[in-house]
Amino acid sequence: MTETPMPTAYKDPKLPPPVELPEGPDWVGVLKVFDAHVAETLVVAARTLYPHQDLPERVYRRTVVAFDGLAAKMPAVAQGFAEFVDLVDGAMPVPFRELSESYRVNGLKAIEGTAAFRLVQRTTVRFLYDDIEVWQAFGYEGASAHLGGYVDRGFNDLDWLPEPPPGI
Amino acid sequence: MTKYDLDDSGVVVIVGSGAGGGTLAHELVKRGVEVVLLEAGKHLTADDFVNDEWAGYEMLSWLDKRTASGTWRAAKDHPTAPSWSCQVVGGTTTHWSACCYRFIEDEFRAKTLYGEIPGTSLIDWPFTVADIAPYYELAEAKMGVTRTNGLPGLPANNNFKVMYAGGSKLGYNVSTGRHAINSIPYDGRPATIQDGFTITGDKTGARWSTLAVEIPRALATGKLELRPQSRVTFIEHDAAGKASAVVYVDAAGVTHRQKARAVVLAGNCIETSRLLLHSKSGRFTDGLANGYGHVGRHYLRHIIQTVWSIFDKPVYMHRGEIMGGMIDDFVRHDPARGFAGGYYIEMNSMGLPTTAAFLDPGWWGRDFVSVIEQYRNMAGIFMSGEDMPQPGNRVTLGDELDAFGVPVANLHYDDHPNDLKLRVHGYKTLSAIHAAAGAKRSIEAPSYPASHNLGSNRMAAKAEDGVLDGNGRAWEVPNLFIADGSTFSTGGACNPTLTIVALAIRQAEFMAGRMAAGEL
Repeated sequence: MTETPMPTAYKDPKLPPPVELPEGPDWVGVLKVFDAHVAETLVVAARTLYPHQDLPERVYRRTVVAFDGLAAKMPAVAQGFAEFVDLVDGAMPVPFRELSESYRVNGLKAIEGTAAFRLVQRTTVRFLYDDIEVWQAFGYEGASAHLGGYVDRGFNDLDWLPEPPPGI
Repeated sequence: MTKYDLDDSGVVVIVGSGAGGGTLAHELVKRGVEVVLLEAGKHLTADDFVNDEWAGYEMLSWLDKRTASGTWRAAKDHPTAPSWSCQVVGGTTTHWSACCYRFIEDEFRAKTLYGEIPGTSLIDWPFTVADIAPYYELAEAKMGVTRTNGLPGLPANNNFKVMYAGGSKLGYNVSTGRHAINSIPYDGRPATIQDGFTITGDKTGARWSTLAVEIPRALATGKLELRPQSRVTFIEHDAAGKASAVVYVDAAGVTHRQKARAVVLAGNCIETSRLLLHSKSGRFTDGLANGYGHVGRHYLRHIIQTVWSIFDKPVYMHRGEIMGGMIDDFVRHDPARGFAGGYYIEMNSMGLPTTAAFLDPGWWGRDFVSVIEQYRNMAGIFMSGEDMPQPGNRVTLGDELDAFGVPVANLHYDDHPNDLKLRVHGYKTLSAIHAAAGAKRSIEAPSYPASHNLGSNRMAAKAEDGVLDGNGRAWEVPNLFIADGSTFSTGGACNPTLTIVALAIRQAEFMAGRMAAGEL
């Protein structure tokens, strides 16, 4: 299949830009609540839940920075993330973030019914797929009103099916 | 803005500024009635809105905790937010996707047409299609509904081309449908720029809302006082059993008591039922207007579900108006299908953030990833069908209190066998349409939090069958009215807003008439 290039994604100009993180392990320096082990475990958990081969590590890290922001606002949420890390680390003689993929997947399956799992899974979906770099990767263009909408930018440009009759 | 005194007992107090309350306010002040409109949310403007799914959700939604029980998926997927509506001036009209279909004649006589269905509490509406038809016409003109009054339909977008290709191949009647979104400039508002963000507020005013149309025009009459950030907690009555005042808390946390000539609740199903149940007194021991125990019962939320399909080539479904497609072949009740009631097929699109969240909440792993990575090749198709009223599907009050001292609402819903039959039939039809257009894979997504909230304070021909008479007036409290979807006697199949607006116009005429006659 020939790949056409992905169009450019935009965040609404009224919203803050994505957080800038250092590329190395220093990224944990921006965190308010999580320590490095909790943060790195959650990054590995997010990638195990949603293992997008071609997404860079930084999008998963930004997702965990968003978790940290919630945890800083809500102590009960902070406790939920801590419980999650304890649960997944306690299941095997090796810390979760050092496990091979099949053990990580089985470990997550084993705790699917818990509130801590639900918190991590739902919150990962909430923030990972709200990241503009992920939008760009999967072809979602995002905000458009500041560019005049899509009326002149392809709202009806699909050309691989028959054109419906005018006025249908 | 006009100001009314808290002790002015000559005003009509409306609680909620959405499709019902906002329209009713305008229609009453046009007739010279003095109105105080209380809205729990803020008064935002088009400039405040953002083109962003989650930021828009957080800006507009009613986010207070609720609880859920019953067999419905919402109790599992969204246990503290089973129902969804807005808390902002304009209510859920700041969010809606503007589908405007009328109930058909049969839907006003569901009990007569469907007969006895075990487990249901079906009734006929207390009026016929002929009674409401003139008000549908007024509503369509007011809202600028496409394909009425000479207005053209919305143009076909990419997602529609997929729906059209599949639906026409199967012989269905496919069109872009009817919407309160300007396809051409109308009523001082511009044509749509196809920004794809009708659900996060409308930045241009191309789509009708009470925020953009009814409320500013009502304010201009000098008869309306709008009080945003006013959270109503209790409805009081006098010794004669008439509603006499509305208690509310303002943005600073100060409690006020606004006297009233008549009170209208328009806070969407959950909040309106919750207020009635909470407003208990020595005279109304089970809550206001609840002598027969119908308040909060017979709750309906429509059979709503989406099929998302993956194609070989890009669709970019997020470009353009999100629900501009409709198939009406399954609207009529047809006993040969094996269930009662019908459904509309409509188009649906979402951005990546909410597609991921609602595709199948709880789904994770490599299979999910392989689907969502193909977002740009995805198309969406949707249905809204009639669910069966059941007395046990209801809003009740729990033990936990909210920040205003009002009990948190629980929403209980068990799927009726008829609902499940309709769901299965609908999923098969939706998937077949996409398959006919060349889909590689289709995902049957469950309902998201209920947005068509209906029936929980229903109108009925007899007091023992419902909370309200045919004018939306409480049988037991002659100056208490309701103007939201909770008044629906049965749900019908189509999106409810057009009917809510038509009923509000009709109700304003009734109320103004009674006032002129000295009877209200």
